[in-house]
Amino acid sequence: MNDKLSHFHVTILIYITQTGAVIITLPRLLAEHFGTNGWLSLLFVYMVVSVNLLLITAVYRLGKGKSIFEIMERSISKIILYPFYLAIASLWAMLGCLAAKQYVLIFQMIAFPTTNPMIFKLLIDILAFILIIKNVYKIAKAATVFFWMIVWMILLLFYFYGDFEWSRLTPFVFQDSAITLNSFFSIYLAFLGYEVCLLLFPYVDKRTKLMKAVQISNLMLTFTYVYLSIIAYGFYGYKHLKTLEYPLLNMFAYIQFPFVQGTENLLFGFLLFSIIITIVMYWWGAKEISVQILPLKGRVLAFIILFISFCISYIPKSINDTERWLSILGYAEIGLSFGLPIGLILLLLIQRMRGEAR
Amino acid sequence: MINKGVGLCFLGCLVLLTGCNDQRILEETGFIQSASYDELTNNRIVYGISIPIANPEIKATRAFLMTDAMSSKQARTHLSRQTNLQLVSGQLRVALFGLPLAKKGIWRIMDTLIRDPTISEKIKIIIVNGEAAGLLKKNFKEFPRTGQYIDRLIKKEAIRHSTPLTTLYSFSRDYYDDGIDPVVPIIKDTGKTISLDGIALFQDDTYKGKINPEEAVVFAILRGNFKQGEVSLALPKQSQDTTVMLSSLNSSRKVNVKYEDDGNIRINIQIQATATVSEYIGELKLSNDAERREIERVISDQITEQAERILKTLQRFSTDSLGLGTYVRNSMTFAEWQKLNWHDQYPNVNIECRIKLRIKDYGFRR
Repeated sequence: MNDKLSHFHVTILIYITQTGAVIITLPRLLAEHFGTNGWLSLLFVYMVVSVNLLLITAVYRLGKGKSIFEIMERSISKIILYPFYLAIASLWAMLGCLAAKQYVLIFQMIAFPTTNPMIFKLLIDILAFILIIKNVYKIAKAATVFFWMIVWMILLLFYFYGDFEWSRLTPFVFQDSAITLNSFFSIYLAFLGYEVCLLLFPYVDKRTKLMKAVQISNLMLTFTYVYLSIIAYGFYGYKHLKTLEYPLLNMFAYIQFPFVQGTENLLFGFLLFSIIITIVMYWWGAKEISVQILPLKGRVLAFIILFISFCISYIPKSINDTERWLSILGYAEIGLSFGLPIGLILLLLIQRMRGEAR
Repeated sequence: MINKGVGLCFLGCLVLLTGCNDQRILEETGFIQSASYDELTNNRIVYGISIPIANPEIKATRAFLMTDAMSSKQARTHLSRQTNLQLVSGQLRVALFGLPLAKKGIWRIMDTLIRDPTISEKIKIIIVNGEAAGLLKKNFKEFPRTGQYIDRLIKKEAIRHSTPLTTLYSFSRDYYDDGIDPVVPIIKDTGKTISLDGIALFQDDTYKGKINPEEAVVFAILRGNFKQGEVSLALPKQSQDTTVMLSSLNSSRKVNVKYEDDGNIRINIQIQATATVSEYIGELKLSNDAERREIERVISDQITEQAERILKTLQRFSTDSLGLGTYVRNSMTFAEWQKLNWHDQYPNVNIECRIKLRIKDYGFRR
């Protein structure tokens, strides 16, 4: 594993990991939680994520690029660390798994409604498994290929210019809504995925400019979200948006060509490329952590993780159940994405004071 | 290598075989192409559907089925008992609503149309002056299947702006927007043909009145930026038998909202239009600058007068079909807008309208 990730590959990898199934509901979430011109809240969340990324940058700088496991294991005993590792691995395994299940359940609303969803889930899991058993360098390459396969979809937004009206956006900011902390969290979930860069430290070198790449991905993601949300606001109006379960699917369906109807089937299928990388990166993360506990072959570990999470994913049956699980896990993930870097910084500072860091 | 091959084959089979589970066989499927909704007593509706048939053994090109039920999905299960085909809504193009139902409100039916993921947001919403099922049931010998006939008629007329093109998307969008009310084309049976009967004006989801087909183009000019229209005008002010036909009519709208000293709202609509004269029967010469200006002035006045009449009608019905509420809303704070009951205010608002038309060219004759 002498290959190091390139700047470009990391940028794309993180961007695709961040883009997930939430994008389908995002305009509605914004309208529901933030009311008029809710898309402005994306800019605020962007800034919070950037701060979070600065914390991770501090870990990278202070630790001089050492892997987070190395940092932790230097000062904390393994008996304390193993349950912690296990918790993170389970969290990531479940996040990946439920994201896949959510995609399948939404897919089944438009195609194959009565087929057992677990069959599709199994197919996605097999595809993901094939990627996970490769190293992260290959995953990043696959992500780049997938990126080119979906990035053109942003151009589809041109289609809505005809019916778009600025006046529908209204001049009011965050009116007709009750903003709570929960509102921000639910939007924040759409940005998650960047925290896996914590695990990338051993796979990059100085030339990768890891943290700059992640900042760029976050900026690209915010641009995509803001652009999509403005179009959705001007196309539907915020009151209508509130009533749509999956606004992006409605928008997909609105695009029609003389020779093809039901475009949402086709276009939603393309989103799988982005979602599979999200799933793969979480599972890969879970695998990386599990290796610290169980020194098994990567392939075997990946299989065990996928098998266990596949079994658990039998439990949530409806889309609502799955989404509730996902948001609970998402909140835990938000906590982790702030808590872990802060903990690591403290640890590094302590190590430095004790003179261990050399 | 062998292992990889076997693995790939297994994966391939798995992918392809999942498709066998949910089958849809074309010959056994009845694609509902048009649906009609009429009012019955006790909250029940009469639901009619038209399905094209492509079976060489059957002479008819389509089947029409009708039943009454509490909801359209319930009606579909009733209808399913009458046919050998599996009914699906994915190809639905036209939804027809009878006028009596429209007067009571059509939102109850919209729910199923919006909720069903197989139904496109682009299906056309159309009001029938009379009974919708009766019209859909009837065959018009010299025209395509009735559903298709209506679909194409509306699509073509919408290009010329003789009618708005109201889809499920645009209806629900305007329904939810508090600054605009939906409009829907209205059609009627004229014996051997179907004909456009004007534009139905809605307040939220309830029919309030209509605009005559002759005024449709001017209504479209008032409604927003406009491209490619045609309008024929008699100009009695110039002389008794002067007529003019304008084509390639383009226009752009500007709306200003002002507040009078006593707090009343005053709305000013400015419309700039350009057009080609394709027919002019009268005494003035179009090639003469002064005379052409005179014609422009007379036409502008005439269209402005028509527009003012339409505005009065809209205010009388209390339907803000032009979306003037959007401009009023955007001119005040959110709290003020919440306090202002736009639908109550609207009939009393002072609306001024000025249309300025320029003749771009006048054909090959000087």
